[in-house]
Amino acid sequence: MSGYRRLDVRRGKPVQVTVDGEQIPAHQGETLAAALLAAGVDEFRRTRTGDPRAPLCHMGTCFECVLTVDGAPLTRACLTPVRDGMVVTREAGQS
Amino acid sequence: MKAVTIVGAGPAGLAAAAVLDAHDVPVLLVDEQPRPGGQIFRQPPASFPGAEAAYTAGYGWGRDLVTVPERPGIAFAGSTTALGVLHERVDEGGHGLVAGPAGPRTGPDRLSVVLRGPDGVRSYETAALLVATGAYDMPVPMPGWTLPGVVMAGAAQAMVKSQKMVPPGPIVLSGAHPLLLVAADQLVRSGAEISELVLTRGLPGPREAWAALPAVPGHVAMLAELGASVARLLRAGVRIRTRSTVVGATGADRVQAVQIDRLDPHGQPAGRPRTVDAATLVLGYGFQPSTELARQARCRLHHDAMAGGWVVDHDGTGRTTAPGVYVAGEPTGVAGAEASRAEGVLAALSIVADLGGAVSARQWRDARRGVRAAARFSRVVQELFQVPPALLDALATEETVVCRCELVSAGKLQSTLDRNPQMSTVSAVKLECRAGMGPCQGRYCEASVSRALCAARGRRPDQAGYAAAHLPIKPVPVSDLATLTTDPDAPASGGVR
Repeated sequence: MSGYRRLDVRRGKPVQVTVDGEQIPAHQGETLAAALLAAGVDEFRRTRTGDPRAPLCHMGTCFECVLTVDGAPLTRACLTPVRDGMVVTREAGQS
Repeated sequence: MKAVTIVGAGPAGLAAAAVLDAHDVPVLLVDEQPRPGGQIFRQPPASFPGAEAAYTAGYGWGRDLVTVPERPGIAFAGSTTALGVLHERVDEGGHGLVAGPAGPRTGPDRLSVVLRGPDGVRSYETAALLVATGAYDMPVPMPGWTLPGVVMAGAAQAMVKSQKMVPPGPIVLSGAHPLLLVAADQLVRSGAEISELVLTRGLPGPREAWAALPAVPGHVAMLAELGASVARLLRAGVRIRTRSTVVGATGADRVQAVQIDRLDPHGQPAGRPRTVDAATLVLGYGFQPSTELARQARCRLHHDAMAGGWVVDHDGTGRTTAPGVYVAGEPTGVAGAEASRAEGVLAALSIVADLGGAVSARQWRDARRGVRAAARFSRVVQELFQVPPALLDALATEETVVCRCELVSAGKLQSTLDRNPQMSTVSAVKLECRAGMGPCQGRYCEASVSRALCAARGRRPDQAGYAAAHLPIKPVPVSDLATLTTDPDAPASGGVR
């Protein structure tokens, strides 16, 4: 599984995000969506028919990247900057 | 003095904020992104040292524009979503009688904007509202477009420009809009592995370039840049296919391959697609105006296919049909950043004048001239790069998901129409088959539903109508809205019912 590649620019401080119990490294300023894609996460959620979905628009419009972030459901990963210790669960079967 | 609220910190909103500030009108500038600039000047995160937004040829003015929110008279609310507008009629005692969208203005009414930001949901009383909400990528449903790995052109660009990341290759780009060439160029220069660029039309030839010349003054650098992009792509070994399109994407749990077909003279796939490996498919057919906030505010709209679909009516200077609500930029029709900036200036002058400020004849004249000049260029671009209308629905098969949120297929949409011959509006179709009821609230399926309905009933889009937008125009947990109704200290708390 090949993910998005980070370009060689200076980034924010390293942070750790937990996604479904797994630690994912990221940098301050990155959106949660970008951090997940860079970590090779393709599936952001599954539909009620079991189909995988991932970000389509990266601008807060399509709601394909919604996750539960620190207990808040329906959080758009593309608009949410990562924070150290952020706890994320992927949603399955809601829609 | 109450602030004027501007929703959208792209070229239209930023230009308007600058004008209002110059007239000493306080501004609350709201955007869902953490930093100003909109999608065109989307900036890297503040925590990336030294990183700067890209200002391509013709858009150098963006560099100054993104600094406008730093002025002391302007409050910038980033990472904040406008959920809707409340228009309260007020009795003599100052008590709110009615909370709801705009109605006829009588007496000392209050206009409030409901915002959801880092500090929760709040309602802010505002002197006027400028809707500068921009546009988003035009969806064209086709088999496999819900697979992970399929992204809109704006998404691919945002990842490169702001997040400084490139998608996995091989990458295929498909669509009709010049943005696709710009995006491809940015990707290649960032070292992304692009295998093919597929355009529904031919590259603009000398004849068209000649025909476009009257609109060119002031835009030579922009056209030259587009030509340079094509040259760079070819040098980098990107194959450019014209009069073709990607007709589908396939893969188990993500995109692994795409099917590319030539288009016949009517803009329909010829029917002999070839398959190409792809880890990422970028779609860029153009843009749709983002009009949900204007709809919820009860602004009148009309349908204009060339301008991207439903657009907000205004008086030529940004005044909508809803009292206190103004519009600028792509919600009036997709016309590019320069047109948006010019409309932002003009709408701001209207607001200044309506709030009792002084606007000189010269300011009006210059602002109108700016709008006219930008419109000439954008009309040429719109005509050159319009998606062949026949293509919009030619790609979806019966199984293709049209409404991504509610999983409504093109076949189900058609059978709903067949079973209910009395059904004649987009809203009726939505109620019956749920297309448009999910979290994206129809942003990615309403146009498809409208086209299917119009084809089945022989109606025009303006007869089929659009789905109404209600507060909240983007879904939020109910608990968030509860804070709005239970906080007595919130300014102008409008009872949401």
